[in-house]
Amino acid sequence: MAFPLPRGITPSEISFLAEMETVTILPRQRLEGLELLGGPVEPLLPPRRASLPLWLALLLKRQRRANILPPPWLHPESLELILEIETKNDEYQHAFSPPPPLPGQPTPRDRRPPTTRPHYTPDGEKYYPAPPFLPQNTARDHIPPGEPPALPFHWLEVGTMLLEAASDDLVEPDQTRRLLKELREVRMAKIRSGVDVLDAAAMGGGGVALTGVGAMELGEGRRFIAGVVDGLRRIGASKEQARREEMAEEMANGGYDGTQDYEDGEMEF
Amino acid sequence: MSYYDIDAILTDSQKLPCTFELEVPGLGILEGNPGENIKAGTRIDLPLWLGEMLSIGARLGTSRLVTLDLPSALSERVMNALKADPRTVELRSLAPHFYSLSERILELFEEEEMVEVLSNTFKKRSAEIADHAHNPQGALGQGADFLRGLDETERQLFRVAHDSAKETRIWAGEAKKK
Repeated sequence: MAFPLPRGITPSEISFLAEMETVTILPRQRLEGLELLGGPVEPLLPPRRASLPLWLALLLKRQRRANILPPPWLHPESLELILEIETKNDEYQHAFSPPPPLPGQPTPRDRRPPTTRPHYTPDGEKYYPAPPFLPQNTARDHIPPGEPPALPFHWLEVGTMLLEAASDDLVEPDQTRRLLKELREVRMAKIRSGVDVLDAAAMGGGGVALTGVGAMELGEGRRFIAGVVDGLRRIGASKEQARREEMAEEMANGGYDGTQDYEDGEMEF
Repeated sequence: MSYYDIDAILTDSQKLPCTFELEVPGLGILEGNPGENIKAGTRIDLPLWLGEMLSIGARLGTSRLVTLDLPSALSERVMNALKADPRTVELRSLAPHFYSLSERILELFEEEEMVEVLSNTFKKRSAEIADHAHNPQGALGQGADFLRGLDETERQLFRVAHDSAKETRIWAGEAKKK
Protein backbone atom coordinates (compact mmCIF):
# COMPACT_ATOMS: atom_id res chain seq x y z
CA MET A 1 0.00 0.00 0.00
CA ALA A 2 2.71 2.40 0.98
CA PHE A 3 5.18 1.09 -1.54
CA PRO A 4 4.34 2.77 -4.84
CA LEU A 5 5.90 0.22 -7.17
CA PRO A 6 4.01 -2.94 -8.08
CA ARG A 7 5.42 -6.37 -7.36
CA GLY A 8 8.03 -7.73 -9.67
CA ILE A 9 10.62 -5.89 -11.66
CA THR A 10 10.12 -3.03 -14.10
CA PRO A 11 11.28 -3.13 -17.73
CA SER A 12 13.95 -0.51 -17.10
CA GLU A 13 15.34 -2.57 -14.24
CA ILE A 14 15.49 -5.63 -16.47
CA SER A 15 17.35 -3.74 -19.17
CA PHE A 16 19.71 -2.40 -16.51
CA LEU A 17 20.53 -5.98 -15.56
CA ALA A 18 21.00 -6.86 -19.21
CA GLU A 19 23.70 -4.20 -19.52
CA MET A 20 26.01 -6.58 -17.67
CA GLU A 21 26.13 -8.89 -20.70
CA THR A 22 29.48 -9.02 -22.45
CA VAL A 23 29.64 -7.87 -26.07
CA THR A 24 32.45 -7.62 -28.58
CA ILE A 25 33.63 -4.24 -29.83
CA LEU A 26 36.10 -2.99 -32.35
CA PRO A 27 37.76 0.03 -30.71
CA ARG A 28 38.74 3.06 -32.73
CA GLN A 29 40.87 4.63 -30.01
CA ARG A 30 43.30 3.39 -27.44
CA LEU A 31 42.12 3.07 -23.89
CA GLU A 32 44.02 1.76 -20.92
CA GLY A 33 42.61 -1.16 -19.01
CA LEU A 34 40.06 -0.39 -16.31
CA GLU A 35 39.69 -2.08 -12.95
CA LEU A 36 35.93 -2.37 -12.49
CA LEU A 37 34.04 -4.05 -9.68
CA GLY A 38 32.77 -6.67 -12.11
CA GLY A 39 36.31 -7.56 -13.17
CA PRO A 40 39.12 -5.95 -15.11
CA VAL A 41 38.58 -4.61 -18.63
CA GLU A 42 41.36 -5.33 -21.03
CA PRO A 43 43.19 -2.36 -22.60
CA LEU A 44 41.73 -1.31 -25.92
CA LEU A 45 44.20 -1.34 -28.77
CA PRO A 46 42.72 -0.77 -32.22
CA PRO A 47 42.25 -2.77 -34.35
CA ARG A 48 42.13 -5.62 -31.84
CA ARG A 49 38.71 -6.80 -30.79
CA ALA A 50 37.80 -6.61 -27.13
CA SER A 51 35.01 -7.91 -24.92
CA LEU A 52 33.31 -5.33 -22.73
CA PRO A 53 30.15 -5.07 -20.66
CA LEU A 54 27.27 -3.79 -22.75
CA TRP A 55 26.92 -0.52 -20.84
CA LEU A 56 30.55 0.43 -21.48
CA ALA A 57 30.29 -0.64 -25.11
CA LEU A 58 27.20 1.54 -25.58
CA LEU A 59 28.96 4.47 -23.93
CA LEU A 60 31.96 4.14 -26.22
CA LYS A 61 29.67 3.70 -29.21
CA ARG A 62 27.78 6.89 -28.41
CA GLN A 63 31.07 8.75 -28.16
CA ARG A 64 32.11 7.26 -31.50
CA ARG A 65 35.13 5.59 -29.94
CA ALA A 66 34.16 2.05 -30.91
CA ASN A 67 32.02 -0.12 -33.15
CA ILE A 68 29.96 -2.94 -31.72
CA LEU A 69 30.10 -6.31 -33.41
CA PRO A 70 26.62 -7.82 -33.25
CA PRO A 71 26.24 -11.28 -31.69
CA PRO A 72 25.60 -14.12 -34.14
CA TRP A 73 21.94 -14.55 -33.13
CA LEU A 74 21.15 -10.89 -33.88
CA HIS A 75 21.40 -11.47 -37.59
CA PRO A 76 18.39 -11.53 -39.93
CA GLU A 77 19.20 -15.05 -41.06
CA SER A 78 19.43 -16.44 -37.53
CA LEU A 79 16.30 -14.61 -36.44
CA GLU A 80 14.45 -15.85 -39.50
CA LEU A 81 15.45 -19.39 -38.59
CA ILE A 82 14.33 -19.01 -34.97
CA LEU A 83 11.06 -17.47 -36.08
CA GLU A 84 10.49 -20.44 -38.34
CA ILE A 85 11.11 -22.83 -35.45
CA GLU A 86 8.66 -20.87 -33.32
CA THR A 87 5.87 -20.75 -35.86
CA LYS A 88 6.23 -23.66 -38.26
CA ASN A 89 7.68 -26.48 -36.17
CA ASP A 90 4.97 -28.68 -34.70
CA GLU A 91 7.19 -29.61 -31.79
CA TYR A 92 7.36 -25.99 -30.71
CA GLN A 93 3.74 -25.10 -31.40
CA HIS A 94 3.16 -24.38 -27.72
CA ALA A 95 6.75 -24.27 -26.50
CA PHE A 96 9.52 -21.74 -26.92
CA SER A 97 12.55 -22.26 -29.13
CA PRO A 98 15.34 -23.88 -27.12
CA PRO A 99 17.76 -21.56 -25.31
CA PRO A 100 21.47 -21.66 -26.06
CA PRO A 101 23.08 -24.74 -24.56
CA LEU A 102 24.54 -24.36 -21.10
CA PRO A 103 28.02 -25.68 -20.49
CA GLY A 104 28.15 -28.87 -18.51
CA GLN A 105 24.73 -30.01 -19.72
CA PRO A 106 23.93 -32.17 -22.70
CA THR A 107 21.83 -30.32 -25.28
CA PRO A 108 18.36 -31.75 -25.74
CA ARG A 109 18.96 -32.37 -29.44
CA ASP A 110 21.93 -34.66 -29.17
CA ARG A 111 22.81 -36.48 -26.00
CA ARG A 112 26.53 -36.09 -26.40
CA PRO A 113 28.48 -35.61 -23.20
CA PRO A 114 29.35 -31.98 -22.52
CA THR A 115 32.51 -30.86 -24.20
CA THR A 116 33.14 -27.64 -22.30
CA ARG A 117 35.63 -27.75 -19.51
CA PRO A 118 34.48 -26.78 -16.03
CA HIS A 119 35.92 -23.75 -14.31
CA TYR A 120 37.42 -23.84 -10.86
CA THR A 121 36.90 -21.50 -7.95
CA PRO A 122 39.93 -20.23 -5.98
CA ASP A 123 39.17 -22.98 -3.46
CA GLY A 124 39.49 -25.60 -6.15
CA GLU A 125 35.78 -26.40 -6.44
CA LYS A 126 34.42 -27.26 -9.84
CA TYR A 127 31.68 -25.10 -11.37
CA TYR A 128 30.13 -24.27 -14.69
CA PRO A 129 29.41 -20.62 -15.35
CA ALA A 130 25.82 -19.67 -16.06
CA PRO A 131 24.32 -16.52 -17.61
CA PRO A 132 25.15 -13.63 -17.31
CA PHE A 133 28.71 -14.92 -16.99
CA LEU A 134 28.56 -16.70 -20.31
CA PRO A 135 29.62 -14.89 -23.46
CA GLN A 136 26.28 -15.40 -25.20
CA ASN A 137 26.29 -12.02 -26.89
CA THR A 138 29.84 -11.80 -28.14
CA ALA A 139 30.68 -12.01 -31.79
CA ARG A 140 32.16 -15.28 -32.97
CA ASP A 141 34.18 -15.87 -36.09
CA HIS A 142 33.24 -19.44 -36.69
CA ILE A 143 30.22 -21.22 -35.33
CA PRO A 144 30.62 -24.97 -34.84
CA PRO A 145 28.44 -26.86 -37.30
CA GLY A 146 25.28 -28.34 -35.89
CA GLU A 147 24.81 -25.55 -33.41
CA PRO A 148 21.52 -23.87 -34.25
CA PRO A 149 21.04 -20.16 -33.50
CA ALA A 150 19.29 -19.63 -30.20
CA LEU A 151 17.98 -16.65 -28.29
CA PRO A 152 19.89 -15.91 -25.08
CA PHE A 153 18.14 -14.97 -21.84
CA HIS A 154 18.45 -11.22 -22.46
CA TRP A 155 17.70 -11.33 -26.18
CA LEU A 156 15.01 -8.68 -26.28
CA GLU A 157 16.91 -6.16 -24.14
CA VAL A 158 20.26 -6.57 -25.88
CA GLY A 159 18.59 -6.58 -29.29
CA THR A 160 16.56 -3.46 -28.61
CA MET A 161 19.47 -1.55 -27.06
CA LEU A 162 21.80 -2.41 -29.91
CA LEU A 163 19.17 -1.39 -32.46
CA GLU A 164 18.72 1.89 -30.67
CA ALA A 165 22.36 2.86 -30.14
CA ALA A 166 24.28 0.96 -32.78
CA SER A 167 21.91 0.33 -35.65
CA ASP A 168 24.63 1.26 -38.17
CA ASP A 169 26.77 -1.65 -36.93
CA LEU A 170 24.05 -4.24 -37.51
CA VAL A 171 23.32 -6.14 -40.67
CA GLU A 172 20.05 -4.82 -42.15
CA PRO A 173 18.77 -3.07 -39.01
CA ASP A 174 15.23 -2.56 -40.36
CA GLN A 175 14.84 -6.22 -41.16
CA THR A 176 16.27 -7.12 -37.74
CA ARG A 177 13.89 -4.76 -36.00
CA ARG A 178 10.90 -6.24 -37.80
CA LEU A 179 11.97 -9.80 -36.98
CA LEU A 180 12.53 -8.98 -33.30
CA LYS A 181 9.07 -7.48 -33.11
CA GLU A 182 7.51 -10.48 -34.79
CA LEU A 183 9.34 -12.89 -32.52
CA ARG A 184 8.19 -10.97 -29.51
CA GLU A 185 4.56 -11.06 -30.60
CA VAL A 186 4.64 -14.77 -31.39
CA ARG A 187 6.18 -15.58 -28.03
CA MET A 188 3.87 -13.31 -26.04
CA ALA A 189 0.90 -15.03 -27.64
CA LYS A 190 2.36 -18.35 -26.50
CA ILE A 191 2.72 -17.08 -22.94
CA ARG A 192 -0.89 -15.90 -22.93
CA SER A 193 -2.28 -19.11 -24.34
CA GLY A 194 -0.18 -21.02 -21.80
CA VAL A 195 -2.74 -20.25 -19.08
CA ASP A 196 -4.21 -23.70 -19.62
CA VAL A 197 -1.25 -25.45 -18.07
CA LEU A 198 -1.03 -23.13 -15.09
CA ASP A 199 -3.36 -25.14 -12.85
CA ALA A 200 -0.56 -27.69 -12.65
CA ALA A 201 1.38 -25.05 -10.76
CA ALA A 202 -1.57 -24.18 -8.54
CA MET A 203 -2.56 -27.67 -7.48
CA GLY A 204 0.70 -28.59 -5.84
CA GLY A 205 3.29 -31.02 -7.00
CA GLY A 206 3.19 -29.66 -10.53
CA GLY A 207 5.34 -27.28 -12.45
CA VAL A 208 5.24 -25.23 -15.61
CA ALA A 209 8.10 -25.33 -18.07
CA LEU A 210 9.45 -21.88 -18.84
CA THR A 211 12.59 -23.04 -20.61
CA GLY A 212 13.75 -20.59 -23.20
CA VAL A 213 11.67 -17.64 -22.00
CA GLY A 214 13.63 -14.39 -21.93
CA ALA A 215 14.05 -12.01 -19.02
CA MET A 216 11.85 -9.26 -20.44
CA GLU A 217 9.10 -11.71 -21.32
CA LEU A 218 9.19 -13.11 -17.81
CA GLY A 219 9.02 -9.60 -16.40
CA GLU A 220 6.07 -8.75 -18.58
CA GLY A 221 4.18 -11.95 -17.86
CA ARG A 222 5.09 -12.31 -14.20
CA ARG A 223 2.25 -10.40 -12.59
CA PHE A 224 -0.45 -11.88 -14.80
CA ILE A 225 0.79 -15.45 -14.41
CA ALA A 226 1.19 -15.06 -10.66
CA GLY A 227 -2.36 -13.67 -10.49
CA VAL A 228 -3.83 -16.59 -12.41
CA VAL A 229 -1.96 -19.17 -10.35
CA ASP A 230 -3.04 -17.49 -7.14
CA GLY A 231 -6.68 -17.36 -8.28
CA LEU A 232 -6.65 -21.04 -9.22
CA ARG A 233 -5.03 -21.91 -5.92
CA ARG A 234 -7.71 -20.08 -3.99
CA ILE A 235 -10.55 -21.75 -5.89
CA GLY A 236 -8.95 -25.15 -5.43
CA ALA A 237 -8.02 -24.55 -1.78
CA SER A 238 -10.94 -26.54 -0.36
CA LYS A 239 -10.25 -29.46 -2.65
CA GLU A 240 -6.57 -29.36 -1.75
CA GLN A 241 -7.54 -29.33 1.93
CA ALA A 242 -9.77 -32.39 1.44
CA ARG A 243 -6.97 -34.17 -0.41
CA ARG A 244 -4.52 -33.47 2.41
CA GLU A 245 -6.93 -34.75 5.02
CA GLU A 246 -7.43 -37.87 2.97
CA MET A 247 -3.70 -38.37 2.78
CA ALA A 248 -3.29 -37.82 6.49
CA GLU A 249 -6.01 -40.38 7.10
CA GLU A 250 -4.30 -42.85 4.83
CA MET A 251 -1.05 -42.29 6.66
CA ALA A 252 -2.79 -42.88 9.98
CA ASN A 253 -4.31 -46.11 8.69
CA GLY A 254 -0.90 -47.46 7.77
CA GLY A 255 0.70 -45.76 4.80
CA TYR A 256 2.59 -48.84 3.67
CA ASP A 257 1.19 -52.26 2.90
CA GLY A 258 2.26 -54.11 6.05
CA THR A 259 -0.74 -54.05 8.38
CA GLN A 260 1.08 -56.46 10.63
CA ASP A 261 3.88 -54.01 11.30
CA TYR A 262 1.37 -51.34 12.09
CA GLU A 263 -0.22 -53.47 14.79
CA ASP A 264 3.16 -54.29 16.20
CA GLY A 265 3.94 -50.64 16.37
CA GLU A 266 0.71 -49.96 18.15
CA MET A 267 1.55 -52.49 20.83
CA GLU A 268 4.69 -50.70 21.78
CA PHE A 269 2.90 -47.54 22.69
CA MET B 1 -6.15 -11.79 2.45
CA SER B 2 -5.39 -9.29 5.10
CA TYR B 3 -7.51 -7.81 7.83
CA TYR B 4 -7.83 -4.45 6.10
CA ASP B 5 -8.46 -5.89 2.65
CA ILE B 6 -11.49 -3.98 1.41
CA ASP B 7 -12.36 -6.75 -1.05
CA ALA B 8 -12.43 -9.33 1.73
CA ILE B 9 -14.76 -7.09 3.75
CA LEU B 10 -17.07 -6.60 0.77
CA THR B 11 -17.06 -10.33 0.10
CA ASP B 12 -18.12 -10.94 3.69
CA SER B 13 -21.10 -8.64 3.28
CA GLN B 14 -22.59 -10.49 0.32
CA LYS B 15 -25.94 -12.11 1.05
CA LEU B 16 -26.54 -15.79 1.59
CA PRO B 17 -29.98 -17.42 1.93
CA CYS B 18 -30.44 -18.83 5.45
CA THR B 19 -33.31 -20.80 6.97
CA PHE B 20 -33.94 -20.43 10.70
CA GLU B 21 -34.35 -23.74 12.51
CA LEU B 22 -35.43 -22.29 15.85
CA GLU B 23 -37.70 -19.52 16.94
CA VAL B 24 -35.59 -16.56 18.02
CA PRO B 25 -37.16 -13.89 20.23
CA GLY B 26 -36.65 -10.29 19.27
CA LEU B 27 -34.70 -10.89 16.10
CA GLY B 28 -37.52 -9.80 13.81
CA ILE B 29 -35.49 -6.75 12.89
CA LEU B 30 -33.68 -8.91 10.33
CA GLU B 31 -36.98 -9.46 8.60
CA GLY B 32 -38.08 -5.85 8.82
CA ASN B 33 -40.41 -6.25 11.84
CA PRO B 34 -38.51 -4.78 14.78
CA GLY B 35 -39.55 -6.15 18.15
CA GLU B 36 -41.19 -9.26 16.74
CA ASN B 37 -39.93 -12.82 17.06
CA ILE B 38 -38.45 -14.74 14.17
CA LYS B 39 -40.25 -18.01 13.54
CA ALA B 40 -38.64 -21.33 12.77
CA GLY B 41 -38.54 -22.01 9.06
CA THR B 42 -38.19 -18.37 8.00
CA ARG B 43 -35.92 -17.79 5.02
CA ILE B 44 -33.86 -14.61 5.12
CA ASP B 45 -30.85 -13.41 3.17
CA LEU B 46 -28.11 -12.75 5.68
CA PRO B 47 -24.60 -11.43 5.07
CA LEU B 48 -21.98 -14.12 4.76
CA TRP B 49 -20.21 -13.23 8.01
CA LEU B 50 -23.44 -13.43 10.02
CA GLY B 51 -24.78 -16.58 8.38
CA GLU B 52 -21.46 -18.32 8.86
CA MET B 53 -21.46 -17.50 12.58
CA LEU B 54 -25.08 -18.56 13.13
CA SER B 55 -24.64 -21.85 11.34
CA ILE B 56 -21.54 -22.76 13.31
CA GLY B 57 -23.56 -25.08 15.55
CA ALA B 58 -23.86 -27.43 12.63
CA ARG B 59 -20.17 -28.05 12.70
CA LEU B 60 -20.00 -28.46 16.47
CA GLY B 61 -22.75 -31.07 16.40
CA THR B 62 -25.19 -29.17 18.61
CA SER B 63 -28.55 -27.99 17.33
CA ARG B 64 -27.97 -25.17 14.93
CA LEU B 65 -29.68 -21.87 14.58
CA VAL B 66 -29.79 -21.57 10.79
CA THR B 67 -29.07 -23.76 7.80
CA LEU B 68 -27.25 -22.22 4.87
CA ASP B 69 -28.14 -22.49 1.23
CA LEU B 70 -26.10 -21.86 -1.87
CA PRO B 71 -26.41 -18.24 -2.99
CA SER B 72 -28.14 -17.61 -6.31
CA ALA B 73 -24.81 -16.62 -7.87
CA LEU B 74 -23.61 -20.20 -7.45
CA SER B 75 -26.86 -21.99 -8.24
CA GLU B 76 -27.21 -24.96 -10.52
CA ARG B 77 -28.40 -22.72 -13.33
CA VAL B 78 -25.24 -20.58 -13.22
CA MET B 79 -23.01 -23.65 -13.04
CA ASN B 80 -24.67 -25.06 -16.16
CA ALA B 81 -24.21 -21.77 -17.98
CA LEU B 82 -20.54 -21.72 -16.97
CA LYS B 83 -20.11 -25.28 -18.15
CA ALA B 84 -21.62 -24.39 -21.52
CA ASP B 85 -19.52 -21.28 -22.18
CA PRO B 86 -17.63 -19.49 -19.43
CA ARG B 87 -17.00 -16.42 -21.56
CA THR B 88 -20.55 -15.30 -22.07
CA VAL B 89 -21.60 -15.23 -18.42
CA GLU B 90 -21.59 -11.82 -16.76
CA LEU B 91 -20.07 -12.69 -13.43
CA ARG B 92 -20.25 -9.12 -12.19
CA SER B 93 -24.03 -9.02 -12.34
CA LEU B 94 -24.19 -12.30 -10.39
CA ALA B 95 -21.85 -11.12 -7.64
CA PRO B 96 -19.27 -8.32 -7.74
CA HIS B 97 -16.82 -10.53 -5.86
CA PHE B 98 -17.77 -13.77 -7.54
CA TYR B 99 -14.56 -15.72 -7.03
CA SER B 100 -13.95 -14.54 -3.46
CA LEU B 101 -17.52 -15.48 -2.65
CA SER B 102 -17.24 -18.91 -4.19
CA GLU B 103 -13.97 -19.42 -2.37
CA ARG B 104 -15.73 -18.81 0.94
CA ILE B 105 -18.72 -20.94 -0.05
CA LEU B 106 -16.48 -23.83 -1.01
CA GLU B 107 -15.03 -23.71 2.49
CA LEU B 108 -18.53 -24.20 3.89
CA PHE B 109 -19.95 -26.70 1.41
CA GLU B 110 -18.37 -29.77 -0.10
CA GLU B 111 -18.82 -29.28 -3.82
CA GLU B 112 -16.25 -31.24 -5.79
CA GLU B 113 -17.82 -30.49 -9.12
CA MET B 114 -18.10 -26.79 -8.46
CA VAL B 115 -14.34 -26.57 -7.94
CA GLU B 116 -13.82 -28.13 -11.35
CA VAL B 117 -16.29 -25.83 -13.07
CA LEU B 118 -14.92 -22.71 -11.41
CA SER B 119 -11.27 -23.56 -12.10
CA ASN B 120 -12.10 -24.17 -15.71
CA THR B 121 -14.09 -20.94 -15.89
CA PHE B 122 -11.27 -18.95 -14.34
CA LYS B 123 -8.72 -20.42 -16.75
CA LYS B 124 -10.82 -19.81 -19.86
CA ARG B 125 -11.69 -16.28 -18.85
CA SER B 126 -8.08 -15.47 -17.85
CA ALA B 127 -6.88 -16.38 -21.33
CA GLU B 128 -9.53 -14.05 -22.75
CA ILE B 129 -8.58 -11.30 -20.29
CA ALA B 130 -4.91 -11.57 -21.30
CA ASP B 131 -5.84 -11.11 -24.94
CA HIS B 132 -7.90 -8.03 -24.17
CA ALA B 133 -5.24 -6.62 -21.85
CA HIS B 134 -2.68 -6.56 -24.65
CA ASN B 135 -4.97 -4.48 -26.78
CA PRO B 136 -3.41 -1.00 -26.57
CA GLN B 137 -6.85 0.61 -26.54
CA GLY B 138 -7.45 -0.90 -23.14
CA ALA B 139 -11.01 -1.42 -22.02
CA LEU B 140 -12.47 0.83 -24.69
CA GLY B 141 -11.95 -1.25 -27.79
CA GLN B 142 -13.95 -4.22 -28.86
CA GLY B 143 -14.80 -6.69 -26.14
CA ALA B 144 -15.99 -3.94 -23.80
CA ASP B 145 -19.07 -6.05 -23.09
CA PHE B 146 -16.98 -8.94 -21.89
CA LEU B 147 -14.81 -6.67 -19.77
CA ARG B 148 -17.84 -5.12 -18.12
CA GLY B 149 -18.87 -8.58 -16.91
CA LEU B 150 -15.59 -9.22 -15.07
CA ASP B 151 -15.71 -9.70 -11.33
CA GLU B 152 -13.31 -7.89 -8.99
CA THR B 153 -10.57 -10.57 -9.04
CA GLU B 154 -10.64 -10.59 -12.81
CA ARG B 155 -10.52 -6.82 -12.97
CA GLN B 156 -7.34 -6.82 -10.92
CA LEU B 157 -5.93 -9.46 -13.24
CA PHE B 158 -6.82 -7.32 -16.24
CA ARG B 159 -5.19 -4.31 -14.64
CA VAL B 160 -1.85 -6.00 -13.89
CA ALA B 161 -1.72 -7.61 -17.34
CA HIS B 162 -2.54 -4.31 -19.03
CA ASP B 163 -0.05 -2.34 -16.94
CA SER B 164 2.87 -4.67 -17.52
CA ALA B 165 2.16 -4.78 -21.25
CA LYS B 166 2.01 -0.99 -21.32
CA GLU B 167 5.23 -0.57 -19.33
CA THR B 168 7.05 -2.88 -21.69
CA ARG B 169 5.72 -0.99 -24.69
CA ILE B 170 6.89 2.29 -23.17
CA TRP B 171 10.31 0.81 -22.53
CA ALA B 172 10.53 -0.47 -26.10
CA GLY B 173 9.65 3.02 -27.35
CA GLU B 174 6.46 1.86 -29.07
CA ALA B 175 4.18 3.89 -26.85
CA LYS B 176 4.62 7.27 -25.25
CA LYS B 177 4.57 7.96 -21.57
CA LYS B 178 1.36 9.73 -20.78
